[in-house]
Amino acid sequence: MIMKIVTVRRISQFFFFLLFAWFCIVSTVGEEFRQIRGWPVNWFLQLDPLVAIATALTTHTLYWPLLWALAVVVLTIIFGRFFCGWMCPFGTLHQFVGYLGNRKKKTAQKIKLNKYRKAQCIKYFILIFFLFMAAFPSLAATLQTGLLDPIPLVTRSFNLMLLPVIDRGVSLVSVTARFYEGAWLIFAIFLTAVLLNLVIPRFYCRFICPLGALFGILGRFAVWRIGKKQNKCVDCKLCEKSCEGGCEPSGNIRISECVLCFNCREDCKKDELIAYQPVPSLAGEITNPDVSRRGFVLSLAGGIFAVPAVRLGNELGSNWYHIIIRPPGALPEEEFLKRCIKCGQCMRVCPTNIIQPGGIAGGLENLWTPVLNYRIGTSGCQLNCVACGQLCPTSAIRSITLAEKLGEGDFADAGPIKMGTAFFDRNRCLPWAMDKPCIVCEENCPVSPKAIYTQECLNTVRDGILTVKQVTDNMIEVEQVLVPGKFAGGDYYCLLPGGDLRKIAANTENSLEFSPNERLEENLAAGNKIEVQVRLQRPFVDIEKCIGCGVCEHECPVSGKKAIRISAVGETRSADRRLLLKSG
Amino acid sequence: MTGQNDKKYERRQFLGRVGKAGISIAAAGLISYKLYDRQGPNTGADAESLVTLPDFSIPEKPGQAMSIVKGAERKTTVNKAIELLGGIERFVKPGETVAIKPNVAFASSPMLGATANPELVAEVVRLCYKAGARQVIVTDNPINDPASCFTLSGIGRAAGQAGAKVILPKDSLFRYTTLEGGMLIRNWPVFFGPFEKADKLIGISPIKDHARAGASMSIKNWYGLLGGRRNVFHQDINTIIAELSMMVRPTLVILDGTEVMVTNGPTGGSVSDLRRANTLIASCDMIAADACGCGLLDLKVSDLPYLSIAEKAGAGTTDYESLKPILATAG
Amino acid sequence: MREVPGRNRRLESAISILLLLVLVIIGLGVFAKQFDVDMGRFGINATDTGLPSQQIQPERQDQSVLETLMPEGFKTLSEAESYNSDNLYEKINGKAPLYIDSGFVKLFTRRFISTEDESLWMEIFVYDMAAVRNAFAVYSQQKRADVVMCGILDPQYAYKTGNALYFIRDQYYIELIGSAETEKLFNSMLEIAKDMKGRLAVDKVTEISELSLFPPDNIVAGSSKLYLKNAFGFEGFTEIFTCRFKISDEPITAFLSECSDPRDAQTTAESYYNFLIDNDAQAKTTANQILKEVGAKVLDFYGTTEIIFSAGKYVGGIHEAEDRKAAEDLAARFLERLSEGAKAIEQ
Repeated sequence: MIMKIVTVRRISQFFFFLLFAWFCIVSTVGEEFRQIRGWPVNWFLQLDPLVAIATALTTHTLYWPLLWALAVVVLTIIFGRFFCGWMCPFGTLHQFVGYLGNRKKKTAQKIKLNKYRKAQCIKYFILIFFLFMAAFPSLAATLQTGLLDPIPLVTRSFNLMLLPVIDRGVSLVSVTARFYEGAWLIFAIFLTAVLLNLVIPRFYCRFICPLGALFGILGRFAVWRIGKKQNKCVDCKLCEKSCEGGCEPSGNIRISECVLCFNCREDCKKDELIAYQPVPSLAGEITNPDVSRRGFVLSLAGGIFAVPAVRLGNELGSNWYHIIIRPPGALPEEEFLKRCIKCGQCMRVCPTNIIQPGGIAGGLENLWTPVLNYRIGTSGCQLNCVACGQLCPTSAIRSITLAEKLGEGDFADAGPIKMGTAFFDRNRCLPWAMDKPCIVCEENCPVSPKAIYTQECLNTVRDGILTVKQVTDNMIEVEQVLVPGKFAGGDYYCLLPGGDLRKIAANTENSLEFSPNERLEENLAAGNKIEVQVRLQRPFVDIEKCIGCGVCEHECPVSGKKAIRISAVGETRSADRRLLLKSG
Repeated sequence: MTGQNDKKYERRQFLGRVGKAGISIAAAGLISYKLYDRQGPNTGADAESLVTLPDFSIPEKPGQAMSIVKGAERKTTVNKAIELLGGIERFVKPGETVAIKPNVAFASSPMLGATANPELVAEVVRLCYKAGARQVIVTDNPINDPASCFTLSGIGRAAGQAGAKVILPKDSLFRYTTLEGGMLIRNWPVFFGPFEKADKLIGISPIKDHARAGASMSIKNWYGLLGGRRNVFHQDINTIIAELSMMVRPTLVILDGTEVMVTNGPTGGSVSDLRRANTLIASCDMIAADACGCGLLDLKVSDLPYLSIAEKAGAGTTDYESLKPILATAG
Repeated sequence: MREVPGRNRRLESAISILLLLVLVIIGLGVFAKQFDVDMGRFGINATDTGLPSQQIQPERQDQSVLETLMPEGFKTLSEAESYNSDNLYEKINGKAPLYIDSGFVKLFTRRFISTEDESLWMEIFVYDMAAVRNAFAVYSQQKRADVVMCGILDPQYAYKTGNALYFIRDQYYIELIGSAETEKLFNSMLEIAKDMKGRLAVDKVTEISELSLFPPDNIVAGSSKLYLKNAFGFEGFTEIFTCRFKISDEPITAFLSECSDPRDAQTTAESYYNFLIDNDAQAKTTANQILKEVGAKVLDFYGTTEIIFSAGKYVGGIHEAEDRKAAEDLAARFLERLSEGAKAIEQ
């Protein structure tokens, strides 16, 4: 029984693609089989050496779950770019679309599509550019590899775009629809990348992918590589018919472009001509990536210069954008930007769907980083939830315990983690501006004691000064015309001439009615002026207790622009964004 | 023969490859091991990078702790004041680096008295060099734009002409500090760079009325050492001033009461805000200096709560009489 | 596909199958990993009994006092045992819920037997209830009918029955159960109890302040009880102290609870009032001036009198009293004492 290597390769690609998709599907908090349980949903991100190396550059540490990447690095050094050809889910997708798009083409056309192009060196420039943006944390460093690193990119695309759209119909993953701001951009990029395979197969892999570039560099000294074993070659170029890497196995094979698809070996009509061997190809091989010195220096300089250039807006200093509210457990901003790979896992797992991909408002570096939007989703940040930090693969959001989030037990001295502070917009708040009773915010405030408290006040309503016509048992007839039932809510009081206040039970078109227990003064005569007043509870924020969880903002009935909004000032993760002096 | 050579060549190639791969793997392994982080990041600044301002004070000499000199000419009075305390040689030894921190808080003209007098600063610089100082640094972290402050106050030019090196604040000169026993100065950025290598520290400040604190004199002068969003401390102004007196231990403070800003402090703005008092105080105890100086503003020690808080914390004494200040008149 | 001779398909197949095996192992590994469920790290399953003292407890490392206890004239009869909330059932069976619902942390037990008379032995139970209130709650709710107060024993609260001694010391509730009702055994238990009092590791002995707020006249000694939750069947009632008073023939029960602030006390009082009204109680007016002044509510609940008031941050009242007048008088006295107490605290 024969098992061809290309068959196994296809099985492997299929297997890892399905595994990846499964991990995306199950990333919901819960214990059922189709929920997160113990599924290692971050495994692909942890295997990604670009994540490990880039975070090692920016933080000078290797976060322990990323040790998986070392295994991939070691295997790549020995065997070559096996990850690209056998494991990468994005690569698999590109290969499949490329296959679908080009299978009807003639052989000669296919060979032409797979020839090596000079532009394949662009991905190395991209890699160098990103790595040098990350290289000098003591001066200024930022982690932007996540923008084009395929694993975070495909994770983002699946979790924040494909899955919500597909699930809208079947509701298997989430009962309520999931929303993600700015997902149109993720969609556009994903679609473009996928469709470009119809132009040239594996377009992204060959020209753009910085991870592929990294593997190309690591695989330079691969012990085993594709090459010609004998001198029998007749230059038919059939080997390049389905060459995935665009590495030209027909001649001087470019080792750093070869993704170990083994199609060349399979398509070659001569036996034992093309082999995977520990010696160099008889036809010659080029091990170095096609990077000119000038190109290298330009990317390097670009990367180093880009960081301070991008930060000229001082968004990390006094010009910080107050609406960028980070999830609980997030590191201080500068440290955060050194670790966030924009994978979107936190956004995927957040049970209330409030973690959203950020835009470029507040700085370019904010793109696709997690930002809390309390208007979207099903609630504010739930008090007893720490899911986001559990899923962050690089600990940009630390995996905090509930005790640390709430400031209990060992963390009682430090107090609870505050994400920001709520501010009332008194021009929009119903009891403040519209004389309408409402304390939805106070009712929903989840901390104990509540961070919203109210002060009572009585305001005379519009057209509320009435003239008494007649007084019977528990009714005052007035001369003015009233809207029947308007004062029946239990919030309205009648101010009598003596200064007493009586609660109004109901009203008809021309009279106010009171409950039998309310004693109306006997000396209330016709012609007296009485006032209808509304009892308002005007809310205030207690900024010492407010943790910025946003439940109030979510529940506020003044839709659109809420009458209470959270701003990141007062967040505990940043020493220089304090609102109050800490006492003791 | 060639076959054998080929085989040898192939084997050498192979071993070469294996060797290089092995080295790469070893390097990757070693780097991973060195950087391996089992804990994950913590919040806030690392404890190891906290700094403490050095103690610049000199041994006490009873009877030579404080001097009060009356006179209209600052150059004369400051010379006399320092002479009475043992001369500049007591404070500055040859070869030392002296840091002078005058009040350069505002981009204000020197005649308005909101900043230290430039001639006074220049004179102190000259005295330090006379005592054999290797270098004298003049520095401050102003409220207004630093370059404008040093220029418009005249201190930049005066100090430079006297041979001092003027250091303006920049990010890299700030480090984090926590004051032991402090409630407010915790993990806070402080202007540290110029003082790191200094041997002695002298503070020079005018006597000013201050709307929030009551008065701004020698202790409040050190507010300039705080970085970050230091305005937040105005919510608890007396505690922060007291903590400043605990955090900074200078060699000498010179409190210039030649012209005192009695209203509209700390910025003043009009010459009519000033009143001539023709007094200059030099002191090794800045709490005593303030306690003495506040009298020129018609204030009592009890009007300035930070004095008592600082005294209780052990940073000095408000009973300046007990230091037996030496009084004199000069010029 | 054609079999192409010459290509080393055998080696290729071998390697291919090996690689397939690797995939299978990976698949199995992932499948195995998903069993490793720890929902606690997501913040779920935070057990919440509503009692603040239980939620995040630091591990108590203290050696059980029973392991080192060696009473004079006794030797150990069994090993020192300890139980936590998972296996408390194994020791005390149906009584376990009472403790677990009251903040129970750990139980230590041991048996001792007399070296002289083998028929005399005792078992000592030390319940660590995490807080003095919890200990008091389980102590007071289990007070036996034939209570004799133990003034001679100095711990905070103690009583004895024929064969047993019960007391609490800060967060510990201790029972010494003797095998027989002999004086000799009892005296030994008393000595042991005094000894234990000194050995129990407590930072400081906390007093239960509410107990001193009840008016001292007519109080039935040792009748104070603490209900941690759902007192009188009302869900909103937590941490309610009750005390019995003998004024007329029938004893009257007064209750008191400390709330976080006056607003909270008022809300609790109103909620209980509404609860009673919802259950067909009738509101009554009172002639008692003091009660009227604070706006106390008097209700008739199926023939018994209920009085509810809030004073400062305390909510209190009378529960199921037969004699309305006596109830009102007691309530008024209670109120007076509370306002005195409030002044004293302010000073």
